[in-house]
Amino acid sequence: MNSRQRFEQHVLPHLDAAYNLARWLLRDAQSAEDAVQEAAMRALRYIDALRDGNARPWLLGIVRNTCFTMLEHQRGGPQLVEFDDESFATALETAQSPAVDDPAALLQRQRQRLQVDAAIRALSPLLREVIVLREFEELDYAEIAKIVAVPVGTVMSRLARARDKLRAALAPFHSGN
Amino acid sequence: MSMDDSELSSLIREHGTRHTAPDALRAGLHTQVALAEAGRATPPAKEARRWWQGPWGMGAGFATGLLCMALLQPLLHSLVTPNAQPSDWRTGIEDELIVKHVRALGPGPLTEVVSSDRHTVKPWFQGRIDFAPPVFDLAADGFPLLGGRVEPLRGRSMAVLAYKRRLHVIELFVRPSSELGAGPAPIAAASAPLRSQRQGFNVMHWDDGAMQYWLVSDLERSEAEAFVQLWQARVAMQ
Repeated sequence: MNSRQRFEQHVLPHLDAAYNLARWLLRDAQSAEDAVQEAAMRALRYIDALRDGNARPWLLGIVRNTCFTMLEHQRGGPQLVEFDDESFATALETAQSPAVDDPAALLQRQRQRLQVDAAIRALSPLLREVIVLREFEELDYAEIAKIVAVPVGTVMSRLARARDKLRAALAPFHSGN
Repeated sequence: MSMDDSELSSLIREHGTRHTAPDALRAGLHTQVALAEAGRATPPAKEARRWWQGPWGMGAGFATGLLCMALLQPLLHSLVTPNAQPSDWRTGIEDELIVKHVRALGPGPLTEVVSSDRHTVKPWFQGRIDFAPPVFDLAADGFPLLGGRVEPLRGRSMAVLAYKRRLHVIELFVRPSSELGAGPAPIAAASAPLRSQRQGFNVMHWDDGAMQYWLVSDLERSEAEAFVQLWQARVAMQ
């Protein structure tokens, strides 16, 4: 099997996961496409290094590193704030603005989506990535640790911090349920 | 009252957005992988450097020289010997077709006449080349026509038709079959295309007595074959 076939068989099936991670980390559709494209080309170049069949954490690790490199170029350093209250508040204003003709249930769902998305967006990249990998990609701690290149204990503590932030941000909206 | 972890999880999973990769990204990757592979005719320079820079550098360098000489010798011979045998102009043409195909997919242009209408594409070739390639509308069969162009190859003008299959591009290079000249007998009967796979592209060649065709695409083989059968059926109905 040549590298292109290996790539198509092992890497392309995880394209959605790769894009989702990049989209959440970079918070921008175009940058996410660029990052995935760059990461995929890197994956193609090093596809022979993929020994075991589990390409998903391997690919996501490459995507993750590509995204963080791009983020560092954007801001000149990692973000220190773990939860950005300002951006969360701004996003919520959009969520609250009433859409006139929408049926109530649909509107409610849309609001909830915007609230959850806004809360995740407001997390710092290091907390955001563990939440995205755990909740959307449903990876286990060991896989996340491999992707992020930190010990499993660090993954667990980051997850706990991220969940605390999200809980605090979403509690007021969740209490109605 | 605050949520526990599993409540929070289900809230996120139910209401959070899981983004899916856009089709354009998928298609772009597909093309890029094909381009990257086609471009990698020579091994990466890094690896080539490593072994002759080793401790046995000099000896290996000398050996490389000898090896180069040995490899170049037939080439030099063919350059020096003027036209030893008039060979079939099509010999080994597949690799050049792939180069043309890759360039058309990359920098382009893929098409000089852009139209899904065969009544626009077919007349466009008039006056540009000295033969009239058949052009069929295969959109109903899942192969919409993208357009056509003229491509010079080995001193001949080829008519090129571009079709699409989902995210893949199929190129059909066309020449009349009457020019076989000194070459060997027609390569294949109309019903049996010659297939080869090179650099990840499928190349199929057939000759129906009026025209000879080369199909080049990264489409998988069974679909490329379906296209050929469809084409041959249309020619037969003409």
